[in-house]
Amino acid sequence: MIKINNVYKKFGELEVLENVTIDIKKGEIVSIIGPSGSGKSTLLRCINKLEDINLGDIYVDGKKIDKNISKKVGMVFQGFNLFPHKTVLENVIEAPIIVKKLKRKKAIAIADKLLKKVGLTDKKDVYPSKLSGGQKQRVAIARALAMEPEVLLFDEPTSALDPELIGEVLNVIKELANEDITMVIVTHQMQFAKEISDRIVFMDEGKIIEKGDPKQLFNNPNEKRLRRFLKRVI
Amino acid sequence: MEYILNTTKFILQGTLTTIKLYTITAILCIPLGILLALLKSSKSSILKNLVGIYTWIFRGTPLLLQLFFVYFALPVIGIRFSQFTAAALTFVINYAAYLTEIFRAGIESIDKGQFEASKALGMSYKQTMTRIIIPQAIRRVIPPCSNEAINLVKDTALVAAIGMGDLLRSAKIVMTRDFTIIPFMIAIALYLLMSSLIVTFFRKLEEKYSIGT
Ligand SMILES: Nc1ncnc2c1ncn2[C@@H]1O[C@H](COP(=O)(O)OP(=O)(O)OP(=O)(O)O)[C@@H](O)[C@H]1O
Ligand SMILES: [Mg+2]
Repeated sequence: MIKINNVYKKFGELEVLENVTIDIKKGEIVSIIGPSGSGKSTLLRCINKLEDINLGDIYVDGKKIDKNISKKVGMVFQGFNLFPHKTVLENVIEAPIIVKKLKRKKAIAIADKLLKKVGLTDKKDVYPSKLSGGQKQRVAIARALAMEPEVLLFDEPTSALDPELIGEVLNVIKELANEDITMVIVTHQMQFAKEISDRIVFMDEGKIIEKGDPKQLFNNPNEKRLRRFLKRVI
Repeated sequence: MEYILNTTKFILQGTLTTIKLYTITAILCIPLGILLALLKSSKSSILKNLVGIYTWIFRGTPLLLQLFFVYFALPVIGIRFSQFTAAALTFVINYAAYLTEIFRAGIESIDKGQFEASKALGMSYKQTMTRIIIPQAIRRVIPPCSNEAINLVKDTALVAAIGMGDLLRSAKIVMTRDFTIIPFMIAIALYLLMSSLIVTFFRKLEEKYSIGT
């Protein structure tokens, strides 16, 4: 589904991604972990072209990514980025209507289903400023799903949340895991990553240091850097 | 009583000129300001610099100088305008320069996450601007625009300096003729009335756009 081949990315002189290669299968759930500044967000943002790469190739669904990539790949941000001047429902139907040119009625039907799925039916006419962080993030997930993406990227979806609100968002993501959408999740929630992921990728200093099965990777890490990282965060 | 009525009538004629100038300036400088602000927050550095030079000149020199330049200096090189055209032209260009900076600041004050979310949802630049960024920017530029709108009421009086029969000049004519303060009292009342109407209008506008905050 996603093929990342020898990707390099620089910000000015700073090498942020160095020879990153990974294949992600359809329906697979991959979590990316690693210390701050290791390039996790950058890698994610390269997949939907929020950042351009300097070298290498990224393919999604067999096609080299271009400016239409956001039709296939959705994204959920750490800071939610809901549209504050639109209600919850309007946030969800906006892109289906203006990008996919769906009829308003059809878009609302889809939105209703998604808002039900994330448990926010009763909030649909509310503006984002009236929501808790957890509710905002669930709206953001519904908004991304409304475009019916084949891949969903999560960049630390719970890092901006109060501890007591993290669970509700993780539960929504876990439920998505049962569907056949491909997910790439950058997270600092190790327990969650272990439970939900088919595979874990550990990054440090712009490189993929180790990747593999969650149990094996968390319980028997090969790399010294990963062992040190895990000791620090768990 | 009749004197006040007649004087008011005369001054109102001048007021009409003021209102006409005000309306034309307001209607033209807003779209021009938006357009230039979009150019200034675009990626092209040539356009950015050109707009920068324009706002630098027109915000950095006196409006009265600009008015004199258009009305008295341009004819020297063969470009002639009527009083009203010269005034309207100067005001539109001058006020558009201020609005450009206000709108640009408004657009740039929007969190970059809004652009990223729009892009991640597949919206084009134009859709992002018109549906997401500008509606939010409008809310933020209402207060500074309100200031400019009131300044414009007062600035229109500058056209008296090129001999245009506006509100101020009509009042002054009557005052000099009859040697009474009444015409100026009437002028004060009319300026205050216009300013208050504008303040009220912007307050309503602000309420309308305050949803979701
Ligand atoms: N737009 C940018 N311009 C310049 N440098 C950047 C930019 N974005 C990220 N960087 C730098 O690139 C490196 C990798 O950043 P990135 O955000 O990908 O790390 P991360 O692994 O997501 O970290 P965190 O866990 O803190 O989110 C960092 O050194 C960061 O300072
Ligand atoms: Mg990050």
